Amino acid sequence: MVKYLSKEWAELAKKKVLTELDKARDLKNMNTSLLNVIQNVPPDNKTMYFYIKFIEGNLEELITGSDESIKQKDAEITATGDYTTFVQISSGQMSSAMALLKNRLKMTNKMKALTITKPIDTFNGCIKGIQTEY
Amino acid sequence: MKLSDVLETTKREPHCGLCKIDFLGTGVCAAGKKHGFVAYWPEGRMELARALAENEVEPTETLIDIVDSCNLCGVCDRQCYFITQRRPTQAQHALKDYVKTLKPNALKRVPEDDVVKDLRAIVGTDWATNDPIIIASYLRSIIKQKSSGKYYIVMPKTTDEIVAIVRLANKYKIPYLPRGNGTFFGVALQTLLAEPATIEQGIIIDLWRMKDLHVDPETITATIGPGVTSFELQKAAHAHKLRANVAEAESCVCANAQNLGIVTTWSNTYGWGTDNFIDAEYIDSTGTIQHLSDKDIPNPYASEQGLLSLSLIPSVIITKLTLKLHEILDDEEAVFIPFTTLPEALDLAHELAKRNIGISLAVLSRKYLTEFISPTHEIAEDFNYIAEKYLKLNYVVDVICDTQSKKIIEELAEVSFGHAMLKSLILGSSKLASMKDSSLLKMIAEEENPLKAVFGGPMREHFEKGLANSPQELAKVFPEDLRDFFEKLYSKPELTDPVWLHSFRILPCRMERKHMWMYRGGYMPGDKKTILKVVDALEKPAQMYHIDGEFGFLSYLERGKLAHLEYDYYYDHTDPEARKRVNKAIVESWRRQFAIKGVTPLEFICSKGLHRKEHILYPFLPGLSEEELEHFEELIETLFGGEDTW
Repeated sequence: MVKYLSKEWAELAKKKVLTELDKARDLKNMNTSLLNVIQNVPPDNKTMYFYIKFIEGNLEELITGSDESIKQKDAEITATGDYTTFVQISSGQMSSAMALLKNRLKMTNKMKALTITKPIDTFNGCIKGIQTEY
Repeated sequence: MKLSDVLETTKREPHCGLCKIDFLGTGVCAAGKKHGFVAYWPEGRMELARALAENEVEPTETLIDIVDSCNLCGVCDRQCYFITQRRPTQAQHALKDYVKTLKPNALKRVPEDDVVKDLRAIVGTDWATNDPIIIASYLRSIIKQKSSGKYYIVMPKTTDEIVAIVRLANKYKIPYLPRGNGTFFGVALQTLLAEPATIEQGIIIDLWRMKDLHVDPETITATIGPGVTSFELQKAAHAHKLRANVAEAESCVCANAQNLGIVTTWSNTYGWGTDNFIDAEYIDSTGTIQHLSDKDIPNPYASEQGLLSLSLIPSVIITKLTLKLHEILDDEEAVFIPFTTLPEALDLAHELAKRNIGISLAVLSRKYLTEFISPTHEIAEDFNYIAEKYLKLNYVVDVICDTQSKKIIEELAEVSFGHAMLKSLILGSSKLASMKDSSLLKMIAEEENPLKAVFGGPMREHFEKGLANSPQELAKVFPEDLRDFFEKLYSKPELTDPVWLHSFRILPCRMERKHMWMYRGGYMPGDKKTILKVVDALEKPAQMYHIDGEFGFLSYLERGKLAHLEYDYYYDHTDPEARKRVNKAIVESWRRQFAIKGVTPLEFICSKGLHRKEHILYPFLPGLSEEELEHFEELIETLFGGEDTW
């Protein structure tokens, strides 16, 4: 069991994606970078970041933390929401698209996001398998 | 009487919420008025009877209080029969008999948890609950059926109480959702929109108690709280000879304004969205009070367009709205121009819109006309059959205007009818239905222009007289114990006055008498070519999935530059197979509408009612490309799963 958004969790997530997902079949050779801005993270309601970058379906980066340098990364899409929303997404209870419809996520560059709906959903489906302590 | 004996009735309960307003002058359910929670209203008792019969909830001690609070006065039967031909007292009888069968220890006690304790500290003990039996009454009208989430219902009275509730929800990290009268949810929750339109757990903020209403005749405005319904506002405005541009009688004005921007036949002159509002007070997700008129907030009207702008849950809760009202003219009259084909009707209506004729202007379908004015669904079906087969009456251009405009319309239209004929059709609808396949109708059908023969020619007088139009005659179609009431009711002039009926909108829920419906359509450029393309885009999915699809109504905005179209899919929402088919038809209709330039399906207007139409509808977006449509299908799959899971 690892703590959600911890370095250990990020390592496991990266390993899981690299070993379990096929870059063409599952990740559709996507090129994108996505910054998740996770607000109100307990216990002290701080903001954390979860950044991922794919090139041709290869997971190039997967970083988590509260370091401002992550926020400065050049992300193509930014999704901002509450901790509880991201827990629901990462644990497979809700897709990010559904969170958007429920007004729980704010997202930039939605048109690009539309084109990667499926592979991102597959990505989330993969990391939900991590034994996580939320 | 067993709960199972009334299950067919309770399952079909459409949650229109009309029982909460005094739209027939009968008064309303005293228990509902006292306790507020939906469980104490006829609507909620029906839902409770269903949920208990289907073992979706276990009885708690509160059930006794709910059941005992009904004195079987019968007001709800009068109200509900008028609209949906249902009798809620049957469900109440079944509930009374059901509780008699329960052993005392069968009734669960519901302990308070921390959340409900804190909610009660905000609103008072009587106005917050975590009791499953009360929560069950909100099923299918804001809570998804068979939802396993933990819910609370809270009924605030003031803006400050809502602020405290939002902050409390944030403290406990649970979602919240405001509820007006639940009319939108009643329709959406039967479809694949149920998931995105609701919360999976959390606090339902029932706004019914917030009924502040102040009309200012000097500024011709009204300021209202979020619990005020369209009927209540219209009644208050009419007392000053003013009119509000409002949706169906039962809808809460603030919720409707925020959600869909208020879609009416009056939009021809009164407009849409911010055209109708002066200011709004609202609470954001942090629990901060803001106003549309605040100078320091980000542009509140900025909005996304297109298929990624879909958001069915509002980001703020409106707590006060100041609306424009409009003066009622002394010489307002109704004019109806019947047509056989839609293009002909659109030609005239568009011409009138361009000339700014018609305070209220719409193209109405035969289905709406016959269903709205007929006292029962069976009569409506016969009327519908007669109108189509013999009269060739399929569409009506429906106008409320002044005397001068009436003269222009009568010059432009070959044939028209007004108040007197509509009154005859309402009071004589049962007689007309009995004339189905009569020699008189066959004779009319043989005329070169049956519409002209009936509504403009020498037969008009015979036809009108033949309808034997009296309240006494009409009352015969109602159950015996309700006849006296309905005879008196239909003797009231407003019940046959088209101007009053257009303002107060008490009839549209008659659409739900037989089946549930799902609105389709949306906003589009006002040219005939686009409108007909959209009608086709909505009609085809209905045919593909064997749904009964019908044109509803069309109204114009901005002198005909824009149009709003409602097309309806009728289906049996108690049949899982029918629900699957309607879901497939919904998705297909989105796909087809998005392929047409400038079209915004109605769902994509949701939560944007406080915006300016200029930010939502302009510029006209190009239709989606094939590639974009493929991505759209992937998005649908991500959201709702594959077709077989809907």
